[in-house]
Amino acid sequence: MGASIGGKTVVVVGAGIVGAATAYFLSRSGFAVRLLDANAPASAASGAADGAVSVASKRPGPMMTAALAGIALYRRLERDGPLGGLFHERPTIMVAEDEHEAETLRGHAEALAGAGKQLRHFEGTALPSYLPSVSAHVRLAVEVGEEGHAIGYEVVRRLIAASGVAVERTTPVLELVKSSSARSIAAVATPRGPIEADHFVIAAGGGSAELLGLSGTVRPRKGQLVVTERAPALNASLPGSLMSCRYLLSKDAILAAGGAAGRRFGLVIDPLRTGQFLIGGTREESGDTSNDLAAVRIMLASAVRLLPGIARLRALRAFAGVRSATSDGLPLVGRVPGYDNLIVATGFEGDGICLGPLMGRTVSRLIAGEDCELDLAPFAPGRFERRSLVA
Amino acid sequence: MTTGSFAWRGATIPFHPGESVASALMRAGVLQLGQDGAGCRLRYFCGIGACQSCLVSVGGTIVEACLTPAGDDLNIKAVEDEDG
Amino acid sequence: MAEPAISSFDVLVIGGGAAGVAAAAELASAGLSVALAEQRPTLGGAYHRQPVGGSARQLRGQRQWLRLLRGLAGAGVEQRLGHVFIGLESDGIAMLDDRAARRIRSIKARALVIAVGAIERVLPRPGWQLDGVMTSGGLQMLLKETGGVPPGDLLIAGSGPLNVAVAADLIRLGRPPVAVIENGNPFARPGAALRLAAHPGLVAEAARHLARLASARVPWLRGSALAAIERRDGRLRATVRMPGGGSRMFAADIVALHDGIRPNAFGLPAETQAQPIVVRAGDCREALGIRAAVADGRHAARQVAAMLAGTVRDGSADRKIGRQRRAQAILHELFRPVDGYGLAALPDDTILCRCEGRTVGDLRLMLAETDAPGLREIKLNGRFGMGLCQGRFCADAVRDMVAAARPAVDGGASGPLSRDRWPLRPASIAALAADDELQEGK
Repeated sequence: MGASIGGKTVVVVGAGIVGAATAYFLSRSGFAVRLLDANAPASAASGAADGAVSVASKRPGPMMTAALAGIALYRRLERDGPLGGLFHERPTIMVAEDEHEAETLRGHAEALAGAGKQLRHFEGTALPSYLPSVSAHVRLAVEVGEEGHAIGYEVVRRLIAASGVAVERTTPVLELVKSSSARSIAAVATPRGPIEADHFVIAAGGGSAELLGLSGTVRPRKGQLVVTERAPALNASLPGSLMSCRYLLSKDAILAAGGAAGRRFGLVIDPLRTGQFLIGGTREESGDTSNDLAAVRIMLASAVRLLPGIARLRALRAFAGVRSATSDGLPLVGRVPGYDNLIVATGFEGDGICLGPLMGRTVSRLIAGEDCELDLAPFAPGRFERRSLVA
Repeated sequence: MTTGSFAWRGATIPFHPGESVASALMRAGVLQLGQDGAGCRLRYFCGIGACQSCLVSVGGTIVEACLTPAGDDLNIKAVEDEDG
Repeated sequence: MAEPAISSFDVLVIGGGAAGVAAAAELASAGLSVALAEQRPTLGGAYHRQPVGGSARQLRGQRQWLRLLRGLAGAGVEQRLGHVFIGLESDGIAMLDDRAARRIRSIKARALVIAVGAIERVLPRPGWQLDGVMTSGGLQMLLKETGGVPPGDLLIAGSGPLNVAVAADLIRLGRPPVAVIENGNPFARPGAALRLAAHPGLVAEAARHLARLASARVPWLRGSALAAIERRDGRLRATVRMPGGGSRMFAADIVALHDGIRPNAFGLPAETQAQPIVVRAGDCREALGIRAAVADGRHAARQVAAMLAGTVRDGSADRKIGRQRRAQAILHELFRPVDGYGLAALPDDTILCRCEGRTVGDLRLMLAETDAPGLREIKLNGRFGMGLCQGRFCADAVRDMVAAARPAVDGGASGPLSRDRWPLRPASIAALAADDELQEGK
C-alpha cells in the first residue's frame, strides 16, 4: 500500500479495457482524468479479444485469485451499472476428447473445486442430454459455473461513456518526461505538446513496453479467431462456451521460440448472444494481426470435430488480437520502482477482458491511497531486475 | 423447355438447365425466401452474390441462391426451415 | 501421391466478365500461365450474363462477348468456374472457395488481376429491405438469364441510365414497367446533353431506349424521388415525391432500385508491385462501364506482363479509357439529382444495415454522443457493416451520414468500414476445415 500524492489530476495512457476502466474508477473517485490513446478506444487487443471472463482454464495462484475477483466485479457492474447488458453470464464447459485429456481434466477440476468454483461433471450416458450437439467421442465434460463473456470494445465504450471523460484519440505518448528531482514524472510528451498531471498510468498494452523500457519483458502473443454466421438453434443447444482441455496446455508460459513450430492451438467455441459462434484460437509469438489458412484450418477442423454442426456454417470474419505476455505469465501491475507517481498495468496476456475492470479499480485505489483488496506483490513491476523501467 | 424441378416449401419449382436457384424461384413467382438468423427478410436483390440476402439452404449449407445452379437432387430449403 | 496443395500460375485473374476474360486471353497470348476464377458456374459477369437453356437472341453486345470467348479458347487459360475469391492469406497465397467441391483452393501466383466488376449504389429508403425489392442490375441479370420477366407489375426507381436500359428491356420482353422514377432531369441539363454528342454510340442507345419508353407509354418521371416502400394487402406500395411538391402512390409487385454504380472493391487487396503483383481491371478499378472493360482488361494484362518481365511499360492510360471517363462524367452530370438526396430527411426507422437490422436512428443516436467515435468504433459498437454482406450495401451510406454529422471524424482507428481482411466473402467452414492437404508441421 503506497502513499498517495495529494494531486488529483491523472493521465491514463491507453484507452483499452484497462485504461478505460481506470478512467472510470478514477472519475468516480473525484480525479480529473485525461485518457490518451495512440489510435482510438479498443483499437488493439481489447477490440480483438475472445471476451472470455473466466477462471476455468486457470491453475490456483495469483491469476486465479485475480480472475475470481474479476468475475465478481463483472457481475456487480452488470447488476448495478455501468455494464448493464454487456456481461453475458454463461458457464464454461471444459471437454476431454480422450482418456488422457479426461484424466488431466479431472485433476484440473479438483483444483477449481478447491478454489470454490461450482462444477458439474457429465460423462457416459449423461453427456448426450447435456450436450446434444457435441460429438459422441467426448469422454468428459466439466461445466464450470459463474463464468461469462463480455465484448471488449462494448465494455470499453460503456466505461468511457460512464466516466464522462473524452478520449484524446491519435495522441501517442512519445516519452515520459521526468521532473527535475528525477523521482517523479512531470508530463507525457505527445505530438501536440507535453501533458502534465499529478499521476500517470501506463495501460497501453503492447505500447507500454517501449515507453517503460520493458521490451523483452512484455512480448506480443498473437491469437487468431474466427466468427461464424448465425445459427440460432445450434447456438441455443450449447449451455455455455466449449473449451477443449487442450487449452490448458496452450497457455503454458514456456513456449518454444518463434515460428510455426512454437505456436499452440487451444480450441474454444463460444456461442455469442447474436446466435453466431466465436471460434478460437492460437497462441503465437508474433505481433501482427494477419490470419493464415493453416491456422484457421486447424482451428476450424478441431471445432468441427467437437461440434459437427459447425461444418455447415460459413465463416464470416477472421481476425487476430495481440496479447501482451510476460515471461513468467504474470502481469505488471503497480508502482514503477523509482517513481512516486507512475503506475503500470499491462501484460495481462489472455486475461485482459476478465481483469480489465478489476485492474482499473485497483489502480484507482492505489492512486487514491485506498486498500486495493488485491495482493499486488506477485505483479510487482520491479520483479524484472537488470533493467531500469524508464528508458 | 424446362428439364428439372426441385421442391421449395411444398411447391415444385421447375428450372432450365444451368439456371440459378434464384432465377428459377423468381420465374415461379417466389419472392419471399423467409427470414435469416438475424430475423431479416431474405430475398433476391443484387444478383452478384454480394448482398447476402438471397440466401437459401442447399444440402444443409447456406448459399446465395443467385450463385447456385439449380439441380434435381438438391435439398433446397429456406434458411429458417433448416434445422439449426 | 496426394495432389499438390498449392497450384502455381504466373497470373491469377479473378472475375470472368468482359475485363477479366480480355485480360486472361491477353496474358496467355503473352506466354504466361494463367488461371481465371469466376464465382458463377458460367463466364459472363453482369453485362454479358448468359441465358440458360435458350437462344442468345435479344442480348446486347453478344457479338463482342463471343469474340472475347473465342480469344480465350485455345489460349490455355485454366478456368476455375464456381470459385469465389476469398482473399490473400498472410503469405500472399490466393484462396478460392470452390463451391461445388466445398474446398478451398490455394493458388500461388506471381500476379493477380482483379476484375470483379461494379456494385450498384442503392440509397437507403424506408422499405428497401422488403421482399420484392431488388436492384435494377439484379433485375436485368434475371432478364438476361431467363429471357423472361418475373410475374407481377414492376416499378423502376432511383437514378441513372441503367434504369432506362432495364425499362427498355422489359418493354422488349412484353412487360413494360408501370413507371421509371428518376431523381435527375437529363432534359434540364443542356450543357451536358450537348457534350454527350461527342459519344454518338451512347446518344443512339439512349434515343432507342427513350423511344421505346415513349411508344409503350411508360412514364419517365424525372425530378421525382421514391420516398418509401411498404407492403400492404399483398403488394408493394411506393410513395413517390413529385417535382414541385406532392406525392403519388404506385402499386407494384417488384420494385427495382438503382442509384448508380461504383467499383466492387470492398476488401480487395490493394494494388501493388510487390509480390504478388496486384492490379485491378474493369469496373472494379474504375466504374466506366462495358465500353471500357475490354480495353481496361487488356491494359491491365500488358501492365502485368511488363512488371513480370521487369520491363517498364508506358504508364499512360489507353485512349479508350480516357474517352469513357469523359462519357461517364457527362452521364453523371446529366443524371445529377434535382435536389440532393436527403439522408438527413430519412425517418429514424429506415434500415441502414440490412444484414444486422440497424437503422438510421441507431446511427443518429451514436453520432449524438459527446464522445466522437471513429468509423471503426461506429462499426463495431453500432454493428453497421458487421453482417454477412460485410458492408457492401451500407458502408457508403453510413460513411456519408457520419461525414455529414461530424466532418472531422475519424481522428483515429482509421480505415474504411470494410477492412482488407479475408475472407472477403462468407466462406464454408467445411471447406476451410478440410484438411486433406495441409497439416501444421508437415
